[in-house]
Amino acid sequence: MLSDIRLSMFLAQKSITKGNKGTLVLTIFIMALVFVNSVFVSSLFLGLTNTINEQMINTMYGTVVIEPKKDEKYVDGVYSLKQKISSVPGVTGVSAQYVTGAVLSYKDKSGAWSVHSINPDDEVTVTTIHNFMIDGEYLGKQDENEIMLGKEISGGYGGDDEDSSLGVKVGDTIDVLFNNGVKRSYRVKGIFGVNFRGADATAYVSQKEMASILGMEDKASQILIRTWDIGNEDRYVKQFLGLGVSETIKPWQNYASMVGDITESFDVIAMLISGIGLFVAGVTIFIIIYMNTISKRRQIGISRAVGIKESVIINTYFLQAMFIVTCGIVAGLLIMFSLVVPWFVSHPLDFSIGKISLLILPERVSISAISLVIAAVIAGLVPSIMAVRETIVEAMWGN
Amino acid sequence: MTGNAGTGGGAFVMVRDLCRIYVMGEVRVKALSNVSFDISKKPAEFVAIMGKSGSGKSTLLHQLGLLDTPTSGEVIIDGKNLLVLSESRKARFRLERFGYVFQEYALLPELTALENVYLPAMALGRKKEEYIRAAREVLEQVGLGERLHHRPREMSGGEQQRVAIARALINKPDILFADEPAANLDSASSGQVLELFRKLNREMGLTILMVTHEPEDRNYVDRVIWLKDGEIAEHGT
Ligand SMILES: Nc1ncnc2c1ncn2[C@@H]1O[C@H](COP(=O)(O)OP(=O)(O)OP(=O)(O)O)[C@@H](O)[C@H]1O
Ligand SMILES: [Mg+2]
Repeated sequence: MLSDIRLSMFLAQKSITKGNKGTLVLTIFIMALVFVNSVFVSSLFLGLTNTINEQMINTMYGTVVIEPKKDEKYVDGVYSLKQKISSVPGVTGVSAQYVTGAVLSYKDKSGAWSVHSINPDDEVTVTTIHNFMIDGEYLGKQDENEIMLGKEISGGYGGDDEDSSLGVKVGDTIDVLFNNGVKRSYRVKGIFGVNFRGADATAYVSQKEMASILGMEDKASQILIRTWDIGNEDRYVKQFLGLGVSETIKPWQNYASMVGDITESFDVIAMLISGIGLFVAGVTIFIIIYMNTISKRRQIGISRAVGIKESVIINTYFLQAMFIVTCGIVAGLLIMFSLVVPWFVSHPLDFSIGKISLLILPERVSISAISLVIAAVIAGLVPSIMAVRETIVEAMWGN
Repeated sequence: MTGNAGTGGGAFVMVRDLCRIYVMGEVRVKALSNVSFDISKKPAEFVAIMGKSGSGKSTLLHQLGLLDTPTSGEVIIDGKNLLVLSESRKARFRLERFGYVFQEYALLPELTALENVYLPAMALGRKKEEYIRAAREVLEQVGLGERLHHRPREMSGGEQQRVAIARALINKPDILFADEPAANLDSASSGQVLELFRKLNREMGLTILMVTHEPEDRNYVDRVIWLKDGEIAEHGT
């Protein structure tokens, strides 16, 4: 009934405005912190996943990859395939690569890594490795006796596998024994570090060079495609199929299965941490409202004696809990978007896999908010229901 | 006041074989046993409940005022058997037809005098202008026209008790229950309260049941119900 709601609102409002301000502010502050914690944790993990995904796209795969048909070793007719693909609106880069294993050695050190051949002019349209040169220069189209190494291979720039690196600098000459038995010497032209281990453990030579090693033309191990947008890979795959591309077409996510597992674990951890936060918030609201109802036990008794309905009294506490949690969420959003987010934007965390910032998804924020509201409502309702369940005489004079 | 007295020939208030046994673990305290009496409406009575401490006075008042549930017996008011009502119907009955005044004022500290008084009227769903006007009227009636916006802690005990009385009167009840309403007051304030009760009873036909242990309060009332060890006694000891 409308008049009941009005009465509950009246009592809740009086209780909030005339009650203890210190407790109220403290409670709202705790709500805000719990909310910030919950949003922060999930956004940080999302940011982490996002960085990993971006690194995979930017340094290793582009957004869509064309691989050889089943049971074949190479993609044929690369030239015409590249033209077909480039004609699709939204495709911003296409780069064909040969990929082969090789043993690289320098002085007494050696190791097996994969060597990719690239047409540098094409490659820069797909990957961003050229922006991460630590020393020396990026490959040129005509380079024949030069090689570009990731920092995990060269060593000396704080990679994860420093021990097994070659310990070479720009200008040194290394020997490369390709899988097909061909052996060549190369001058190290440049060293790059994208802070993504898979990419940093790759060596690049020019396509011209590789063609002479493998003795092949117009073939490739893989064609990397970069599209203008991320997340619509399936649509592009359909379009490529529509153009008659009969090779294997894989969106970048197919290479992210391991990352996908990690992402799922992150989600579980994030849920656990925000779950614990919510539990703490729930318990906090519960204790505060419980203390409040205990100290107002007599008042609840008086109100009931006078003839105020139990539902009105419960609603009064429900409204107070809603008010507190709403203020907490608003305060939390303020803290989040006026302090935490700006700080992280200007100070991203520098992890070994790249810079991590917060990725805030509205739906995740809503989930945090809704969970907090639910926790608050339960915590607010239980003690008030308990309080109206005792008899009026007990409430007014009991101890 | 709803005016009409009891239906079907019975008295306005009929109490029959009322028992209240408190069970505390192994111990059973028989606070009321087989209490029966009537209170008539024409003319409205001002009844005192008296007896020694622990004789069951408050317990009796709580049973009649529907604040507690007796172990057995009947309370029939205005022809209605009240003990069979649901909790929410009892709450409604209290709101519409009963007024309460307790020894310890029992006001809500967060509300002003005016708000405390109009709360029961608001709970009845009356219009805002209407309940504010009614609250001002009863506050003036108890002599507190100047204290409308004071909070309880800004008022003296006597003033708080008169606010409580005003609150008890706002919905124009049929019966006023008062448990030692003057016990915490000095003799001047306590005299004021009793005079007010007397006047409400005489001029407005309000039935009043008042627990008291002050022998001189007998001068204000029409009748005394004596209790001794939870039973009706012939007269005081
Ligand atoms: N909630 C309770 N639980 C157990 N026993 C109770 C309870 N309330 C009252 N009693 C007992 O019931 C008896 C009557 O108590 P009651 O409060 O009605 O007395 P009273 O006449 O109002 O006394 P006083 O003048 O001291 O207020 C007493 O023996 C008291 O100890
Ligand atoms: Mg008593």
